[in-house]
Amino acid sequence: MQFSSFLDSRRKNCKELVNILSKSFSYVSILGSETHALAYRADKNISSVSENEGECGFVIKMHDKNAFYEYSLNDISGDLNELAAKITEKVKVDPSLVKQTVGIKDFSDEPLVKDFVRQSDFDDYSDEELLSVCKEVSKDVLSASDKVLNAIVAISPYTVSKLFITANRELSQHYSWANAFVIALYFDGKMSQARKSFGSDKLKDIIDGMRNCKDYVVDLAAHLAKASPITPGVYDVITDSSITGLIAHEAFGHGVEMDMFVKDRALAKNYIGKYVASPITNMHDGAAATHSAASFFFDDDGVLAHDTQIIKDGILVAGLSDLASANQLGTAPTGNGRRESYKRKAYSRMTNTFFEKGNDKLEDMIKSVKHGYMLFETNNGMEDPKTWQIQCTAEYGIEIVDGKLTDNYVSPVVMSGYVPDLLKSISMISDNFEVFGTGYCGKGYKEWVRVSDGGPNLKVRVKLG
Amino acid sequence: MIDIIKLLKENERLSAYRVSEKATSSYELFFVHKKLETVRSTDTSSTRVTVYVKHGEFLGDSTFEILQSDDEKSANGKIDAAINRAALVFNRPYELPPCGTLDETLPSNLYDFDEKTLGAEIAKAVFAADNEENCSLNAVEIFIYKEKTHVLNSNGVDKTQNNARVMIEAIPTFTDEKLSVELYEDYRFTEFNPQKLTAEIARKIKEVKDRALATKPQTPLKTNVLLRNSEIYGVLLELLMSLNYSAVYAHANPFKIGDDIQQNGDGDKLTITMKAMIAGSENSAFFDEDGSSLKDVKVIDGGIVKNYYGTYRFGQYLGVDEPSGNLRLAKLEKGSLKREELNKEPYIECVSLSGIQLDIFNDYIGGEIRLAYLCDKNTKTPITSITMSAKLSDVLKTVKLSDTEDVFVGYEGPDLMLLKDVNIL
Repeated sequence: MQFSSFLDSRRKNCKELVNILSKSFSYVSILGSETHALAYRADKNISSVSENEGECGFVIKMHDKNAFYEYSLNDISGDLNELAAKITEKVKVDPSLVKQTVGIKDFSDEPLVKDFVRQSDFDDYSDEELLSVCKEVSKDVLSASDKVLNAIVAISPYTVSKLFITANRELSQHYSWANAFVIALYFDGKMSQARKSFGSDKLKDIIDGMRNCKDYVVDLAAHLAKASPITPGVYDVITDSSITGLIAHEAFGHGVEMDMFVKDRALAKNYIGKYVASPITNMHDGAAATHSAASFFFDDDGVLAHDTQIIKDGILVAGLSDLASANQLGTAPTGNGRRESYKRKAYSRMTNTFFEKGNDKLEDMIKSVKHGYMLFETNNGMEDPKTWQIQCTAEYGIEIVDGKLTDNYVSPVVMSGYVPDLLKSISMISDNFEVFGTGYCGKGYKEWVRVSDGGPNLKVRVKLG
Repeated sequence: MIDIIKLLKENERLSAYRVSEKATSSYELFFVHKKLETVRSTDTSSTRVTVYVKHGEFLGDSTFEILQSDDEKSANGKIDAAINRAALVFNRPYELPPCGTLDETLPSNLYDFDEKTLGAEIAKAVFAADNEENCSLNAVEIFIYKEKTHVLNSNGVDKTQNNARVMIEAIPTFTDEKLSVELYEDYRFTEFNPQKLTAEIARKIKEVKDRALATKPQTPLKTNVLLRNSEIYGVLLELLMSLNYSAVYAHANPFKIGDDIQQNGDGDKLTITMKAMIAGSENSAFFDEDGSSLKDVKVIDGGIVKNYYGTYRFGQYLGVDEPSGNLRLAKLEKGSLKREELNKEPYIECVSLSGIQLDIFNDYIGGEIRLAYLCDKNTKTPITSITMSAKLSDVLKTVKLSDTEDVFVGYEGPDLMLLKDVNIL
């Protein structure tokens, strides 16, 4: 796979359009984006190989010291003076709104010309091989027990090319990632569903994992068919890395997206430099912070990828910003300006978000719990950054009694409470570390982008219901 | 632009095809504290193509996108690649939707406005509600969309639908020297009524003031919980997802035709019809993504599952004579609950949840409540920081539905749903 030849063919037009629009605007950037995504899927009854929704287009971003203006379109071609005139007309506002703008400060457009590429092994696999893997794994899981009603298996590789051009910058990046899952639908008195997800830019690793997950998903499905609801209460809890990531992302990450600071929508704005977590806690976010689904080289504002330490020894030290929010706050953008697609606005968004590992052994952490639960696998999460209230759902939990994991599974399990209470309750952190790059994150209820999160095991005290 | 239909017709290796085109123009305004931060406009389109290949007793299909980067040569390459992929797929054969033509525009007064004027008028209506002491709209986003959807297939389907819609995200906030709280709200409509919009946002601003006064009640407690339309829609979405033909064909449906999902309880019986059109809903449609005409179908009648719904293909797999098409709207019939009868016993009226959580497999319903009113006789106390949970089967047995109706996104039906004996922590 190579960088998009289409985007390459439009470099000259982009530069010329930037020059034309720069006569009317103080700043002009163009982001070109081409994404190709495939989905291989098999279950008991059907199979498919199709392209998932990709994208190919451009977004032009401008400011005139009053406000930002953006125009999204499929192509930059033809008479560029005419196109510039059209764009200028399209982003005009009704006269009643002209004087009610936020005001944009000038910012530097540091010169940089660079092409970034991260290779994958996707070209080593044919459509036939990848569909065969899905069929083989599905058949394997179905054969494990006559209680398995269906086994749904999918692999979804995608490849991204992005081009970013301003008066002084010309950047391109090309990278790939793949997600996969194996789901067992099971019936033993009641229906259950067990899932194992995978994410990597090495299909070999994903395929190896899928071929070895049969026992895991069938055993888990059997346990979940017998799972009972949890008795609501406050418990000592050990998180697996997925739930640790859920806490990093939902409990804290959204509240430090700095467009929320600009809008006075996040309590975290008042806590910079203050303790928000136990002193053994360290948390990061960044496209350059680890290698996962949200690892890119520059963001959708053309800012190079960062590794931002958000919490250092329990103290909130930094937030995450896009160009617009950093401009209004008078800070430097942190490489967190992300768009769902070229058709959507850039906001401050998380990338790879995780807690640093600690020094404790997982077995010691479990031994330290008299009565509580170990929680596994993210289902979903919501938070209110204004009041730091969270609701995070784990797929299941296993009861811990007298320092030992039992055979008592509970599902689903909803964690809720006040974020600083949760983070300050972190009393042990394991020495292992895993990040999961299989999720999507929304802003409000829209603007979906791929993210990863994770970290070590945490011991916390939290309300479960 | 390349003529994809011509290229598909010229290819002798494929058995059938479907082309789905969507063109969208939008005008968007983003406000921070009443000040305009960003103005956006978009003019974009996308084309998705599915090819079908018969091989032996099987049918394979594969879908791809025609992108702006494609020329005739690359488009032909994509057609060939998709045919090769379809040849790897051995599915039970099925027919594509039959011949039919249509060119319709869904009713909307949004077409009466120039987009810049409409944007300003909507902003004016939104901010007209922003006049309460200590309250503000900290962030407002306005999206005005005009969309054209065109589906063709090799059976002679050639259908076009135009629609216009508005989505507004508004964040009413209360701030004084002690605390600051907000509520998240989005508004979706196809008919612009400035007075109605101002009134709805004014109601939310009043409620955010109540959130500032809200306290955590004594817990645990077990009480009745009243849900509003947004949460009722959330409950229905989860229930109805498992009645889709594709979920049934994949064995992912806990409820089957003939099942009494309310287990002969004494609550109001659920009667739900999946519909193509609901006046004012942005999800109304004449046809689905296959170009299949949509036909309303009653899926649950008196609590009993009567029918499934879904696409033309999966309907055939299940042996349905006339598949409904992939319906996206749900109408729930009214019930017996009257507002004035609510005060017979205490209850909690939910105003804002993080999100209703439903797990049909694990028989669970719950959620974190950001703002609710604890109602007891004539007192109404704002409460917060609590979670609700119950067995789904228990609350379905005794559920009560209001005798007054509302429309919310893809839902039409009772504006209130009373769940009995819910655990509050």
